[in-house]
Amino acid sequence: MPTSSAESASKGHLLVTGLSAGYGGTPIIEDIDLEVRSGEVATIVGPNGAGKSTLVKALIGVIRPFTGRIELDGDNLAGLRADQICRRSVGYVPQVRDTFPRLSVKENLEMGGFTLSRNLCRQRVDEVLELYPKLAQMADRQGGHLSGGERKMLAVARALMTRPSLVVLDEPTAGLAPKVADELLSEQVTALAKRGVSVLMVEQRAREALSISDHAFVMASGRVVLRDRAATILARPDIGEVFLGRTAGLVN
Amino acid sequence: MHQIILSIGFGIVTASILSMGAVGFTLQFGVTNLFNLAFGDVMTIAAFVAYVVHNDAGASIWLALAAGGAAGMLSSVLIARLIYLPFMQRGTSQFAMVMVTVAVSIVFNNVLQIFSGTGFYGYALLPQASVHILGMVFTPRELVIIALAVVCMAGLHLLFKYTRIGKAMRATSDDASLARTCGIPTNRVTNFAWLASGLLCGLAGVALAMDLGTFSATTGGSFLLVIVAAAVFGSVGEPYGAMVGALVIGVASELAAVISPDLKDVVAFGLLVVVLLVRPEGLRSGRVQIRGEVTR
Repeated sequence: MPTSSAESASKGHLLVTGLSAGYGGTPIIEDIDLEVRSGEVATIVGPNGAGKSTLVKALIGVIRPFTGRIELDGDNLAGLRADQICRRSVGYVPQVRDTFPRLSVKENLEMGGFTLSRNLCRQRVDEVLELYPKLAQMADRQGGHLSGGERKMLAVARALMTRPSLVVLDEPTAGLAPKVADELLSEQVTALAKRGVSVLMVEQRAREALSISDHAFVMASGRVVLRDRAATILARPDIGEVFLGRTAGLVN
Repeated sequence: MHQIILSIGFGIVTASILSMGAVGFTLQFGVTNLFNLAFGDVMTIAAFVAYVVHNDAGASIWLALAAGGAAGMLSSVLIARLIYLPFMQRGTSQFAMVMVTVAVSIVFNNVLQIFSGTGFYGYALLPQASVHILGMVFTPRELVIIALAVVCMAGLHLLFKYTRIGKAMRATSDDASLARTCGIPTNRVTNFAWLASGLLCGLAGVALAMDLGTFSATTGGSFLLVIVAAAVFGSVGEPYGAMVGALVIGVASELAAVISPDLKDVVAFGLLVVVLLVRPEGLRSGRVQIRGEVTR
């Protein structure tokens, strides 16, 4: 994305404080503090049921947080609806149902630019297709006819339509073949950060994800139990235990 | 042979009316995920509104048709917002929602009967000289109905393919929650879907009443089954499938009437069963995701 580095350097700073959220009054995640600085890649890892998906849903407005603040460059997003948060410079790449299956690749991108003016949307479709020549070749193909890797590429491209300063990815490699998954992380996700977009992702392939991340947050039982530089967490000897889901030793 | 060609002509008229109904019905399901069985009664309301505008107020039948279309739009949006939405906000299951639509249908039907009685009504239309086209015989009014259906279908195609709101309707129909995270205000999109499908519903209701010659409080409700058949034939939720379903069922049922008028429905539903046996989700199966959640 042709964004000037001066502009991006100051944008995309996410600060989450004291966030609690859940369903029907029962909190699934409690008192979450997170920070993603401009142009950084931050990864949230943790066992199944740790509340990672709930956290993502609260961040992008699919569920309403009970308490806490979600500040993006000082703008509080907590309590806004998903379509409003989308207008506040947050791009989102969902986990499995990531593209509109009966819309063409081009139409999928247009939906990503729904909040833009018609002309700007058209212009951005061309720009994004230039950025992803592979998608440009299949511009008229239906979303449902793409491979898993192509769909994920389309979902990332669609999230870029509004030139967000933060992109949230929910388990981007879920359901992808290992080789495709590694490419997605090492090429596409890092390319986002290189363009100055902050990235917050939840990921199961923890080792691969941490190796491309600046910071990492380990979640267990609805809380962030460990936060550090990704490299530091990767180097910890008890890391295997964390990713196998045995986190008891970490809580204190 | 002559009789068969004549029947194809009748079939095209029936298919035209059916297509407006079936596409309207399928559009409601596709975007809102609601199987609205009160659709037929809204058709009847539109037919009566047109009756008042034409027979009582003395306006032309085409103005009455437009009024019927407007009545269809208004009733559909009102039913959706005032009755269906409160249930959906409570998280009523999809199956229970079907029962809600049945309840609405029964209430409307009976209220209509209170006002109309059980008698039959007909638009005061002068007989017209028929027009012969390729061995088929049409009245000019029937030709207008066919043209209207063609214009509606072409208009919908352009809407879906080239306009923002049309694409947003398809996106919402594909995946409403993904649409919301893209910044699409799905509540406005569903409102628009209720308006568009209500218009088709109203036009179909008046056209049906014109074609039948007479109508009563139960006319729309009894035609609904054929509409649902055409929609399911083409995979419910798929507008293009509904168009094909309407054409096939409309023409086939009129052809069957050559042998005996009693065979009309037998052939219509026989065809539906055969299609569902071969493709359990209808002609355009695999293109529609049946979702558990209803889109507000």
